[in-house]
Amino acid sequence: MEFFLQQLINGITLGGVYALIALGYTMVYGIIQLINFAHGEFFAAGGYMGVILISYLAAQGLHPYACLGISLVLAMGYCALLAMAVEQLAYKPLRQASRLAALLSALGMSIFLQNGLMLTQGVYDKAYPTEITSGGFHWGLVSVSYMQIFIVALTAALLVGLNVLVFKTRIGRAMRATAQDKTMAALVGINSNRIIATTFAIGAALAAAAGIMVGLYYGSVNYSMGFVPGIKAFAAAVLGGIGNITGALIGGLIIGMVEIFAAGYISGEYKDVFAFIILIAVLYFRPTGIMGENVDDTRV
Amino acid sequence: MKRVLVLIAALAVLTMALTGCGGGGEEKKADQILKMGTMSPLTGPYAADGNDIRQGAEIAAEVMKEQGGVPGFTDIQIFPQDTACDPKQAVAAANKLINDQVTGVVGAYCSSSTIPASETLAEENIIMLTPASTNPKVTERGLTNMFRICGRDDHQAPAAVKFMKEVEGVKTIFVVDDKTTYSQGLADGVVAAAKENGIEVLEHDHVNQGDKDYSAVLTKVKAANPDLLYISLQNSATGALMVIQAKRMGINAKMMGQDAVYHPKLMEIAKADAEGMFLTFGAIDKDAPAYKDFYAKWKSKTGTEPGAYSAYAYDSAMSYLLAVKAAGSTDFEKVRAEILKLKFVGASKDMSFNEKGDSGSNYTVYQVKDGKFVPYWNSLTGEKY
Repeated sequence: MEFFLQQLINGITLGGVYALIALGYTMVYGIIQLINFAHGEFFAAGGYMGVILISYLAAQGLHPYACLGISLVLAMGYCALLAMAVEQLAYKPLRQASRLAALLSALGMSIFLQNGLMLTQGVYDKAYPTEITSGGFHWGLVSVSYMQIFIVALTAALLVGLNVLVFKTRIGRAMRATAQDKTMAALVGINSNRIIATTFAIGAALAAAAGIMVGLYYGSVNYSMGFVPGIKAFAAAVLGGIGNITGALIGGLIIGMVEIFAAGYISGEYKDVFAFIILIAVLYFRPTGIMGENVDDTRV
Repeated sequence: MKRVLVLIAALAVLTMALTGCGGGGEEKKADQILKMGTMSPLTGPYAADGNDIRQGAEIAAEVMKEQGGVPGFTDIQIFPQDTACDPKQAVAAANKLINDQVTGVVGAYCSSSTIPASETLAEENIIMLTPASTNPKVTERGLTNMFRICGRDDHQAPAAVKFMKEVEGVKTIFVVDDKTTYSQGLADGVVAAAKENGIEVLEHDHVNQGDKDYSAVLTKVKAANPDLLYISLQNSATGALMVIQAKRMGINAKMMGQDAVYHPKLMEIAKADAEGMFLTFGAIDKDAPAYKDFYAKWKSKTGTEPGAYSAYAYDSAMSYLLAVKAAGSTDFEKVRAEILKLKFVGASKDMSFNEKGDSGSNYTVYQVKDGKFVPYWNSLTGEKY
């Protein structure tokens, strides 16, 4: 029982991270039907920005939590700008072109950004200061670290914030309108280019937050860290029904849980296999994904 | 369209002129340069060790030149190649080095790269000296071009188990590896040796290369509650991740790693969490004059501390250069004969090779203390330092 509980906690933490990254995929897909394969790189860039800022601020003698808070906001802002630049440069000129062209452009951007990180930040892992992240609660075999609580809490807070933004604000309404029909939305006076840029920015900011949490949780960041979580989060978005925000959350949690339980009860070497078997099985029976039915009402 | 064609033609002419494939007159000059290749992962997760290997060979070439070079050659040039620890890329790198007309190669890092690359190089009679591939198969295939400067896993695994049993009195262990030729081979060796020595192996689990999250497998470790957790991972950064997560989860078992985790990066990332951890690595006498000379050279050229395989890479390149010097040519048979005759004091250890191409293992158990690797127990003498 304790073993199960511990694995459950591990699964929720990992799933939360996947969900945050998956949100970016799903939002961008919802609005322009593009699978943004460069999204994992925003996650890595956020992780790097975090380590640079936290180390710098900590050296100025700031309280660790203040460092974390300021870095989180700045890194999210930085990645939002980066995503808008990428959109402007690599996707906007191809908006009228075939979907395949935009997809290839996204793949190219991913390689470009990854190599950019490698050349500017070096090939070695960069270590996060671990003082902030040590400690936690222990009940017998079960332990929950402060970091795990922080990850789940921040994920929840960002999700609530995102939901409010999409469903309660003017810009959210404009996003939903653009997602339904770009041309019609433009006809009623919505600047669709600006809405698309905003969507990219929000998705990348969430990925940056995930990058910092992963860096803190695991202790280090690496230039190639975006690739594998990017693929997993993409799978999570598809599993949940791509284009659907709640679906991304559910998909992320499922992929995280399946991975952890497969590693815990079967063997670590098969965990990715099981995550993708679940994905294929769900898509076989529900081609639109778990939440894919009411796509038109809720997609961003 | 025409403009594009003209441009392509101009580019083609330019590249030919640059690489010199048009001029036959350059052949003679090229003959006088001693060309040595290096193969190691310069990018990817193993880049830390890979760049150490490249720099080790470069420094050896520099030292050789300072000492008057190799008679008959005007210069020594190093051709570094990136293998990314990928067998396919390693074979491609080997072919590239064959085209570059190198006569000796230092590398590769991963046993899974070294084995296929050495077979490609063997066809062209090119000597290969590995500073880091510890899988027994590397020198057990009867290849005459293959030499090894580091130790072997079938010596490392028993040394680690002997230490667990005789020094630490360990009764139960949990083994984790990440399924590379190297890490899994070593983990299998530890499991086999542990069973022979009456140590109970609670479980032997695997993780994937590139994983960051080890919480699932570490929860298993915690539930199994072994005396010792044996970590056989391909690199220091992933080793550090596992150590941090184990400590955070509240695992109190002793931890032991192997040579690939032995790198200053381990402490840089895991910091205090790495304290007390044991690692097996070849004994390098850091007070020996040969090591001190090497250390000074390394520090002045790179500005960093030498990594795990730096001294081995230096000795690999040195072995080759000394053999060519003694042979007076780069002829394969002559150089091979000279390598087998070599006896010199290297930066890592006293070098000499047996007929298989092995230079012998001398594993020592190190412990992390105050952010440094401190020699703890010598597997050859069975004594604590």
